[in-house]
Amino acid sequence: MKITILNGNPDTQKKDFESYLDDLALALDDLGMEVTTITLREKDIHSCTGCWGCWVKTPGECVIPDDSIEIRNEIIHSDLLVFASPLIMGFTSALLKIMQDKLIPLVHPYIELVNNECHHIKRYKEYPKLALIYSPEPDTDTEDIQIVTHIYQRLAINFKSELVFSQSIETSAEKLVHEIIHHQR
Amino acid sequence: MKLSIINGSPRGKSSNSKVLTDRFQQGFCSVESHCDIQEYFIRSFSDPGKLIEVLENSDLAIVIFPLYTDAMPGIVKRFFEVFQGYTFQNTNLKLGFIVQSGFPEAHHSRYIKLYLNKLAKRIGIEYLGTIIKGGVEGIKAQPGWMTKRYLQLFYDLGQHLALDWEFSDDIARRLARPEHLSKFTLVLYRFFLKTRMATYFWDQQMKQNNAYENRFAQPYSKP
Repeated sequence: MKITILNGNPDTQKKDFESYLDDLALALDDLGMEVTTITLREKDIHSCTGCWGCWVKTPGECVIPDDSIEIRNEIIHSDLLVFASPLIMGFTSALLKIMQDKLIPLVHPYIELVNNECHHIKRYKEYPKLALIYSPEPDTDTEDIQIVTHIYQRLAINFKSELVFSQSIETSAEKLVHEIIHHQR
Repeated sequence: MKLSIINGSPRGKSSNSKVLTDRFQQGFCSVESHCDIQEYFIRSFSDPGKLIEVLENSDLAIVIFPLYTDAMPGIVKRFFEVFQGYTFQNTNLKLGFIVQSGFPEAHHSRYIKLYLNKLAKRIGIEYLGTIIKGGVEGIKAQPGWMTKRYLQLFYDLGQHLALDWEFSDDIARRLARPEHLSKFTLVLYRFFLKTRMATYFWDQQMKQNNAYENRFAQPYSKP
């Protein structure tokens, strides 16, 4: 099973978050899974400019040559894509969201109906399942978690996938490993 | 009364959001004898923290952005992050949001609206609410008869704000139609999506860029 973890933590001082992802990756590695952790703050990723060049000029590829190219390549060949980020002002980081916006080349501009709603059609035959790992803020409440989780569930529909879990780093890494094993495709 | 519009579209001045704010501003200025409006583009700010000062010096502010991957664009999230540890409780500012998307149904934007409701609480601001408008992608290519009605609603929204300092619930409801595609519209859509009309907007652009033959390219597929 190939797993890509997008680490969207912008703050190197958040040691608990970093060590949680390290422990998780090690535990998965010990089980023979192929884990790639991509630390977004170390990457050169330009914000999406909304030019739709990835749809109408170079179909399937962003027209801006940056590190998002290798990241998309990793993602599309993964079985599970884990979005990982501390919550900042009630949502995952801008660092992670900027990369998320650059996933648009992986789908097609054409539209189809899914569950009677308009959504983009597939560009690839298969997409990874999605998961979310977050660290809460001091004022994070149940409503915040529901909102973030709902938004990632919606992203999963457009990404031809499903959100298999949304968990805080307060959940033991062992439990997450079990969740991941459970959802292997 | 000073109104600041903060436009979070990654396309900036050439955005669909700008088409909407232009009409909104016209409506607002139809009431105000001294029309004091400034529009700021987040993409132009390397330090979005400077926009806090803009908000502090405004009576009303509107943040508008397109729905990107089911939420706010990354540059808008970067702007929201400058509010960390900040509160507007001691200001008289009233703030509202407008979320527009390419999908025709308002439902796609309901979840980010929940987030914006919570964000407003978090920063202790007097909240005007969030307006949702779907079906905006391609607005510049759409014929006038298709856009006239909802652009008029953006004019009315601005006019109402200038008069009453609040978003009109009625206009908000009308802009958010359809919430979902109706049974009748679904039948039409199922037919429409099988025709070349459904892809015409994109196909024309691909053809102009000699990219049409590669429209289903999978650049990351293994050979």
